[in-house]
Amino acid sequence: MSDQVNLTIDGVELSVPNGTLVVDAAKMIENPIPVFCYHPKMAPVGMCRMCLVEIGLPVRDRNSGEPVLNDDGTPQVSFRGLQTACTVQVSEGMVVRTTTEVVTKAREDVIEFLLTSHPLDCPICDKGGECPLQNLTMEHGKGTSRMDYSLKMKLDKHVPLGELIYLDRERCIQCGRCVRFQEEIVDDPVIRFHNRGRSLEIVTMSDPGFDSYWSGNTTDICPVGALTTADFRFGARPWELTPVATLSPHCPSGANMTFSTRREAKSGGRSVIKRIMPRQNEPVNEIWISDRDRFVHHFADAPDRLKKPLMRKNGQLVEVEWGEALDAVAGKLQQSGTAVAGLSGDRVSNEDMFLFQKLFRQGLKSHNIDLANRRLAGGDVVAKVGISQGSNLLNLGQGDAIVVIASDLHEEVPVWWLRVKQAAQRGAELVILNLRPTRLDECSRNVIHYQPGQAIATLRQLVNDAKVAAADADNSPIKAAADVIMQANNVVAFYGAEGLTYAETDAVARLLANLLLIKNEEAYAGRPNNGLIPVWPHNNTQGAWDMGIHPALEPGYKPAAKPGMRANEVYAAAQTGALKALFLLAADPIGDGLMAGRGQLDFLVVQELFLTETAAQADVVLPAQSWAEREGTFTSGERRVQRYYPAIQPVGEARPDWQILAQIGERVGLEKPAFAASLVFRDLAKAVPQYKGMDYRALARVEKQWPDVGGDDLYYGGNAYENRVGLGMQWPAAAESGAVDHFEVADVDSELPGKVVVVRTAALFTPGTLINHTELLQARMAQPTLIIQAADAAKLQLAQGEKVMVEVAGRGVETAVRLSEDTPEGVALLRGVPYQAGLTELKVMG
Amino acid sequence: MLLQEKYPEEIKGILARFPHKKSAVLPLMHLAQEAYGFTSREAMQEVAQILDLDPTHVLSLAGFYTLYYEEPVGKFVLEVCNDLACALRGADEFVQMASRKLDIPVDGTTNDGLFTLKTVMCLAACDRAPMLQCNLKFEEHLDEAKFDALISRLRAEAAAEKAEPSIVEQISAFAK
Amino acid sequence: MIGELIKGMATTLKHMFRDPVTIQYPDIKRPPRTRFKGRHELKRYDNGLERCIGCSLCAAACPADAIFVEASENTDEQRFSPGERYASTYEINMLRCIFCGYCEDACPTQAIVLENKYELSFYDRASAIYTKEMLIVDVPVNGNPTPQAVEPGTFDKPIPDMEDPR
Repeated sequence: MSDQVNLTIDGVELSVPNGTLVVDAAKMIENPIPVFCYHPKMAPVGMCRMCLVEIGLPVRDRNSGEPVLNDDGTPQVSFRGLQTACTVQVSEGMVVRTTTEVVTKAREDVIEFLLTSHPLDCPICDKGGECPLQNLTMEHGKGTSRMDYSLKMKLDKHVPLGELIYLDRERCIQCGRCVRFQEEIVDDPVIRFHNRGRSLEIVTMSDPGFDSYWSGNTTDICPVGALTTADFRFGARPWELTPVATLSPHCPSGANMTFSTRREAKSGGRSVIKRIMPRQNEPVNEIWISDRDRFVHHFADAPDRLKKPLMRKNGQLVEVEWGEALDAVAGKLQQSGTAVAGLSGDRVSNEDMFLFQKLFRQGLKSHNIDLANRRLAGGDVVAKVGISQGSNLLNLGQGDAIVVIASDLHEEVPVWWLRVKQAAQRGAELVILNLRPTRLDECSRNVIHYQPGQAIATLRQLVNDAKVAAADADNSPIKAAADVIMQANNVVAFYGAEGLTYAETDAVARLLANLLLIKNEEAYAGRPNNGLIPVWPHNNTQGAWDMGIHPALEPGYKPAAKPGMRANEVYAAAQTGALKALFLLAADPIGDGLMAGRGQLDFLVVQELFLTETAAQADVVLPAQSWAEREGTFTSGERRVQRYYPAIQPVGEARPDWQILAQIGERVGLEKPAFAASLVFRDLAKAVPQYKGMDYRALARVEKQWPDVGGDDLYYGGNAYENRVGLGMQWPAAAESGAVDHFEVADVDSELPGKVVVVRTAALFTPGTLINHTELLQARMAQPTLIIQAADAAKLQLAQGEKVMVEVAGRGVETAVRLSEDTPEGVALLRGVPYQAGLTELKVMG
Repeated sequence: MLLQEKYPEEIKGILARFPHKKSAVLPLMHLAQEAYGFTSREAMQEVAQILDLDPTHVLSLAGFYTLYYEEPVGKFVLEVCNDLACALRGADEFVQMASRKLDIPVDGTTNDGLFTLKTVMCLAACDRAPMLQCNLKFEEHLDEAKFDALISRLRAEAAAEKAEPSIVEQISAFAK
Repeated sequence: MIGELIKGMATTLKHMFRDPVTIQYPDIKRPPRTRFKGRHELKRYDNGLERCIGCSLCAAACPADAIFVEASENTDEQRFSPGERYASTYEINMLRCIFCGYCEDACPTQAIVLENKYELSFYDRASAIYTKEMLIVDVPVNGNPTPQAVEPGTFDKPIPDMEDPR
């Protein structure tokens, strides 16, 4: 059977891939068949009956199998009544009729039936205006009903499924999209149907209710207003909202999102972000976003945002004008000679980072520039063997392999977890290396739990085993995993920093690169759907590497002639007095426990959104605009450069980071500041060879994506927004254009610091500068927990539920002890605490 | 943990009958219903824990099947069919009458804990309507007098402590 | 020609003894016609609860973009309207309003009505914006002012039924 099937829909002949559903085929020729329960990302169930159409098949002669022809030579077609277009696959010669009287009548009846128990409270429904049921009723409904209005079901209208999502039982049309999404797509079956018939309702019994990182997505795909977020309840009518494209401010996957903004009298006429919805980008996040991204926007309007520059006068931080603050910063930085350093957070844009390093490298002649919180190394390796252009994790499946090492993707980058899990469900083999079980293990047949401190040795063994032919080796799990990788058509490798030091992550990146380069001529690296993906801690860590926020690497990974101080050296120098002035861009090292205090620093300047612990000790605090107020670009872990756009007016006198940096640059002798972020990007694209050919216009290009989402056809893909302003551009890894040499891997010392070592594990809802302002999520924040085996706990005299003080990054944190046999021996997992690198000794204080 | 305390052996036996743990959910819920008196939240949590299922899954099953009771029920559960055929033969009026006589609403339980009145979908006895199912036994061709007689008989049985086991015990015996 | 002149003068003479058509506004005000469309009023139910449920359909229907509504949720302790939500902000820019009455048509609860007041003049633009306090009618004699504290479960309809829908 050929891969393409020919059929006719309403007289239009078309050819679609074998296995396509009739409903999708019709969508492809823009002759949409209305649906409620069908969703292009999920398996069809045929529950709502809205997609009934007449489907005819060519009549074949029973004996010869040849098509029977009419008198005029056309094939004879036999129709067998109405069928659901969402459950029927196309077949050769099929004829579909969607405009006949029977079909029209069927649609009218289904709508009338659905409306018998739907409350018609559209005027106050949050979905009203972007509601598939409303739209399809207008389009296909009869306008009248034989149902007596007073006989309508009267059900609870405000049932909390947890504190994030509310259920309106009256509005539910029992399509099951939410239940199927939770089970099929994100594998958190925490909501289900209860009861039968007209009494059917959605229930949850998890603790907390609707316990899933993806719960918000069910409100997007709900074809009625039955599921709504607590956040947007009665917030605005959809037609009043202005959509503004943006990106996730946390997630290195570069998840595309849309702000919905509206000007409000309550906020004195300012635009307010009313909600965040996903924006379709199939190679990035498809149409899903995690709840952390969906509910993050509250910080933008937080009352404690910095509104004016602050300067320390007589020991107090007082508000000053911009000119005075900038003059002071420029003057002090210049006076300090080369004893200056700049440390950047990894959530600011590429433009900001580019100008930041330019200020230091060219303006102040200093290479003392680094990320304030270095967790994961290997950006230089990624530049060579990173995942290739044109890759899409959706393309991975049968015959492909995905390696995940030292990362809990579900907690760190849920979007990648979802896409890796789905690749595994399509048949891709997962190879997972970690020192403890993670959620992804259940999708994998090749799980290797190494001993603490054995990450490098295990990976080295894997790479060595991969070099040996399959037949002549023992059948250790590592060898089996190596064989899986070497037999795969495509290999994508993720690496994280769980339980690893910075130096160890560098070795991991290099070893994985060597794995991808083993088959010299036909190496995995350099081919589409192959390559390395670092699980960066933040949304723009990749951009920081690209922009040269590194003491030894200039923009575009050019080695610096004279490397500067690394972040930890900077913090040490600040204490000894070897460093005079320190500039912190969107970083809070004192709050994060990286720097003990301002020490002997002569001058500390902090550029921030809030008065953080570090900012409170600074000499000058410069108020920056948040990502919602300005434009810029982030680069994702898949090296996709994407734009975000300004949604709301600046808070107070805050300025964009790049502008502040350029204005300081001008004062230390650099050129006049550019007047737009796009011009900074143009300069940046000239300085970074990898970004050649990119500009704001190119980044804003879009192309048609499948499935159709957004637009007028809300009923089909849900309420996620269509992508109209840019899919972004991936920059090519070096391996794509030529051979890359194998990497030297330094021997990394892996001594265990104690009998029971602490591994800090990630949690999606971990307190942070931005997310702390979202009250709604506070109840879900990961509480400090020490997870340990019963045997180890007994040795340490710890009991379940006991509260103990544990040393984390130099400070005592009160944690609750939880016993779990999933934790390996000699390891204590620490969840919901600030980041700390590598393995540390478990120190129970007091 | 009531279930595991009361029926450790039974649980093992039920689990042994199925190749997949998940398949044991219905018999275990019957057991849990017997242990707890009805499928309470705790009962469902416990079943979910034993079988490694999401508790919501268990709750959903309890909602789908009519012989799991999510609220405590009386010793005798009177389930009156009021589906179309029965309704045409006066089932709705019969339910109203029963509700009045027992002085409880539909889905309610009498104060003495003896009777629970429910309405159910078709019990496949349309030709003998109006009818009800009393603890899995059919009572057919009913009218007010027959209903009164039934109630008095059941009350007498209960008073004399000669009565058959409660509905929950019967169901679970049947399930075993 | 003389004849026409006399005829004309006769008409003039005749009208000299009639009541004048003009009235001495503002001392005297002409009663508006039954279908007159003047300044909007936000109505209340007899018990004093506001009819407006903050659905913003008037704003959507307004061809001049003169109406602005922000909604909030009612609670039984603080109840403004019988529905689930009420208008916490309701503003009409009278400079923009063209008195077409589409807002009345769109309103599902007959909360907004173009009434008889027509004296709309302002010294500055800001005062042309009528807020909810200016638009809402006085509390009826037997009603209570909003917000009211009510017994839970008294009002369980998301949108109250319209009395006397036209």
